Amino acid sequence: MTQPKSGDTFGVVGLFESADALMAAISKVREAGLGKVEAYTPYPVHGLDKALGQRRSPLGGMVMIMGVLGALTAFLFQWWISGIDYPIVTGGKAPTSWQAFVPIMFEVTVLFATFTAGLGMLFFLNKLPFFGHPVLHAKAISAITRDRFGLAIEAEGDAFDVAAAVRALESAGARPIEVISVPSFSGPMTARYLERSLLGIAIACAVSGYATYWAVKLFPVLPPTSHMLVQPRLDPQKPSAFFKDGHGMQLPVPGTVARGYLPLGVTSQEEAATLVNPLAVTQKVLEEGRQAYMNHCVVCHGPLANGVPTLTSAYGAKPANLQAQQFREYPDGKIYWAIVMGKNAMPSYAADLSEDDRWAVIHYLRALQRAQNAKPGDLAGVKFEAGSGQGSEGKAP
Amino acid sequence: MTGSKTSTGQVLWGAAALGLMGVVAAYPVAGPARFWANWLLWFLFLLTIAMGSLFIVALEHLVGSRWSVPLRRIPERLSTLLLPAVPMALVALGALPVLYPGTRPEAAHDPVLAGKAFWLSTPFVSTRVVLCLALWLVGVAVLTGGSLRQDRTRDPGFNVKARRFAPAFLAIFALTLTLVAFDWISALEPKWYSDIFGVYLFAGTFLAALAATAASVVYLKDRGRLEGVRPAHLYNLGAYLFAFTVFWSYIAFAQYLLMWYGDMPEEVFWYKERLAGPWLGVALLLGVVHFLIPFFALIPRDAKEDTRRLFWVAVLMLVAHVLDLYWLIFPVLGPPRLFWPELSFALFFISGGLLWVRAAMERGEDMPAGDPFLREGLEFRL
Repeated sequence: MTQPKSGDTFGVVGLFESADALMAAISKVREAGLGKVEAYTPYPVHGLDKALGQRRSPLGGMVMIMGVLGALTAFLFQWWISGIDYPIVTGGKAPTSWQAFVPIMFEVTVLFATFTAGLGMLFFLNKLPFFGHPVLHAKAISAITRDRFGLAIEAEGDAFDVAAAVRALESAGARPIEVISVPSFSGPMTARYLERSLLGIAIACAVSGYATYWAVKLFPVLPPTSHMLVQPRLDPQKPSAFFKDGHGMQLPVPGTVARGYLPLGVTSQEEAATLVNPLAVTQKVLEEGRQAYMNHCVVCHGPLANGVPTLTSAYGAKPANLQAQQFREYPDGKIYWAIVMGKNAMPSYAADLSEDDRWAVIHYLRALQRAQNAKPGDLAGVKFEAGSGQGSEGKAP
Repeated sequence: MTGSKTSTGQVLWGAAALGLMGVVAAYPVAGPARFWANWLLWFLFLLTIAMGSLFIVALEHLVGSRWSVPLRRIPERLSTLLLPAVPMALVALGALPVLYPGTRPEAAHDPVLAGKAFWLSTPFVSTRVVLCLALWLVGVAVLTGGSLRQDRTRDPGFNVKARRFAPAFLAIFALTLTLVAFDWISALEPKWYSDIFGVYLFAGTFLAALAATAASVVYLKDRGRLEGVRPAHLYNLGAYLFAFTVFWSYIAFAQYLLMWYGDMPEEVFWYKERLAGPWLGVALLLGVVHFLIPFFALIPRDAKEDTRRLFWVAVLMLVAHVLDLYWLIFPVLGPPRLFWPELSFALFFISGGLLWVRAAMERGEDMPAGDPFLREGLEFRL
């Protein structure tokens, strides 16, 4: 829209006392054919747009077209993506199942239609941004916004006959009549200023964006911040460039042993008899052994290791009495074998007890056996701590 | 005018008599199952128009709408179709042992139907039907009868009474119309589950009643009656029709989409029957006449004020409602059937229904003259 220069005559506006007087005047003024006839009223008047001969708004048609386009866009987009470009069977349905597309088509139809209605109305039909309509600068506007009805004949070209327009309104009964000229718009409150500012910002954004892009691309001395995006790694379902066979995952070297899974080195309980308990007998080791025994062994072998379990006999198994002569004479290695491999109904405890725990349990078991089969003089070498102030005998293992 | 009226009446009576012969002959010749399916279709067609009209009247009282007061007498008169629907419903109970698997003795051996045996049993279904009819008759008596009495008494107290009665009736309406959907249509295939089916039938019911109202209004206006009804009133009727065309399609598609996605055997068999072979053609036709044509025909603003277009879209909606019921009911008989029994039933019930509506259109004044809001309604502008 070309903006009229300031100082030009915008048109002539006359005021009427009532809506009926306005409606009666419109046809007379329109017949004169002096320019564009426009009405300004304090509230919507029924039948006004028809009397002014205004064209039906094209908005409905625009919304219709965009709505249909929205439906088609949504349909074709989904159909191409899930049926053609990358067909995926979802929920056992064929990739081009139109039924699944319908909700999206519905939504996109509404989206396109409402955006067209809202933005089309504001920017296409109401021609926003648009500050300061000339009538808003007329004296008449203070009456129009209260209780008068304005009728204007607006100039459509240079050949606008102001005097004829004034006469036409006068004979139609308008009082008073005012000639409106285009006010001078300046400063930031004009549409042109706003448009130019927005355009400038948009151009600045585009220029700086492209400049940065090409600067970084053409001068690799400024590597772009890639964070963790660029690093040597194997992407899923891609061959490895590092290993010759292209696999990212390699088999371990033969003979590799996982941590905590040292092989026994013996193949039978008899061979195991030769193993020697690597741990020294200390208070700490015995305490660890007691802990492990109480956690794992006591439920079956009993707190005294005599095969009287803490569980009831309803369990059914008959745990070994480790106080028996046979087990007291067992070498440590054979007990170790039984812990690792299991024995009779007893499962392997290799997964529950670490290497050190196993040997600690054996030390503790030896202590239990000795406690139950004590001989006079066993306590001969024990030194009792005198300074503790209480009977240490009760605490001795 | 009088002469043409008489001849129209005579034509309708003749058509009804001709149709009646076909209806009577259909039972022995075409078999009871086909007879009852046809009976059910036309009974439900007239019942839903009556119920939907009553719903429109109750809704207008509930929300206190003013624009529709000049038109309110039309749905009130249409709601009197409930009176012929009462004997039709009682006759339709004869279809229970023929068309409804839930009433047969072998249903007791079916693990699914055994659980619903009491609900589907003939005595309980009949009790429900009679109870619903009684409740609806109360609705007609209070809303339509009261409004007709107001023509004479000019007592504004009726509006207060109707506004108090309307919410209670609408609650009853929602429950009983769901019962209509479940007892008369769903129960044809009692193993099928659909919670939304009551809403589906409601959408069709409301739309059919709106269409019947719009067609009657245009028809009467063309004959110089309903003076004072403006294009704005027609616009609102048209907008209603347009909106509920979309509502029906939304509900129908929502029911289909969920079942299609879920793919559960107890749900999809119903659609497999109705989308197989020639029934697929019927379903597509239903989509065209119940949604596509009225939707695009009513989209432009002027279309809703264009009496010709409004009338023909309304007639089309009534045809679509018949097709909808046909698609719901007839697949239990096998492939689509459309021959002399169906045509006879259509002839008899359409001409009979029109005769009833013609007579009803002479009841009381054309507008609720005693309603204190009539003047305000006549001044309605968009």
